[in-house]
Amino acid sequence: MSYSFDRVRILVIEDNQPMLEICRTLLLTFGVGEVLTAKNGEEGFKIACKENPDIIIADWMMEPTDGITMTRRLRNDTLSPNHYVPIILMTGFSEKKRVVQARDAGVTEFLVKPFTARDLYKRIAQIIERPRQFVRSEEFFGPDRRRKADPVYKGPFKRDSDIAAMAAQDIRKKEASLQLDKLRKESGLLKTDKIGDIDFDVDFK
Amino acid sequence: MTDTDDHYSMPLRRKAEFYTPPNHLKLKVGNGGLTENILNKAQALLENNSVDFTPLAEMYLDAMMKGIEQARTPNASLNKETIISAILFPGMQLKANGGMFQYELVTHIADRFIQFMEVIDTVDNDALEIIIAFHTTIRAVILGRIKGDGGKRGEELMTALVEACHRYFEKETQAKPQQNNNRYTIPE
Repeated sequence: MSYSFDRVRILVIEDNQPMLEICRTLLLTFGVGEVLTAKNGEEGFKIACKENPDIIIADWMMEPTDGITMTRRLRNDTLSPNHYVPIILMTGFSEKKRVVQARDAGVTEFLVKPFTARDLYKRIAQIIERPRQFVRSEEFFGPDRRRKADPVYKGPFKRDSDIAAMAAQDIRKKEASLQLDKLRKESGLLKTDKIGDIDFDVDFK
Repeated sequence: MTDTDDHYSMPLRRKAEFYTPPNHLKLKVGNGGLTENILNKAQALLENNSVDFTPLAEMYLDAMMKGIEQARTPNASLNKETIISAILFPGMQLKANGGMFQYELVTHIADRFIQFMEVIDTVDNDALEIIIAFHTTIRAVILGRIKGDGGKRGEELMTALVEACHRYFEKETQAKPQQNNNRYTIPE
């Protein structure tokens, strides 16, 4: 069984026509039922109001209205048909300050160009499988900017800190195993002996 | 921890409300993700697109050159960020689109260019020299229709540009040592 996107409508907003076509082709290959298109944030907002798409994929840099401004309107304008609509922002920027800027405007996911088909799919899958809750505060309305840890996550770990943590965990496991072997040897136990089967007489004083 | 001592039993002081919108998308698409076959097909379409990137690249290079000319001509009404943005944004477009249309080397060079532009204080003459070197190199790659990573020549070009950036920051650090103690340097 796999995803069936045939009832899904996605609006792609991009001022670069070849890029718009590429996005459209990718989404149709994924099986998306309808791909709507617009050439800037202004036009995109109007189409979003009229068609109420399930997902919006928008470029950042566009004239006269960019993707960030359009995102703020979709989140806050009373004309917006769905303030919770997932918005994927595409951009060549990957610097932290730009990501923060997009996040603070209410963007749901950030897609750095150039991207692969799998990168685009991952963002869409993230929206489906791990939707963000929304926050309304005095200064902000949009997706919760904190991504909660998933204790049952079984996918690959990609961050340097994850790799370092896994390496440290491996070392700890090996050390623990050696320590256990040593204890077994000192106690005259075999590897097949179950701890529960043995009476321990431990003096904790 | 018990159910009652969340947030140390203190009331929330900042006014924030949380909503969990209904996940209509999940209901529409079902389970299971997309098959490898579909993803591979989509990737093949992406890699085999026959769009000619050169007119688009020329447009971004022209926009970048306009930004360079603007920086060369002192204008009191323009602030530093406006001047930098006029050069940086077309560079970002080159980085974003190069790799989408098989010009990976353009993306790599433009990425280094962005990293340089994001950390300079002002577009002075030394910075302009570096910017023009980036512009000239990207233009040469486009005119030469050098697709992919450019091989060994591409690597040499990248190294030369990165070294020029390092020299710029070294010179700047020597000129203003106290102001630059914690200055970010472009990563290797």
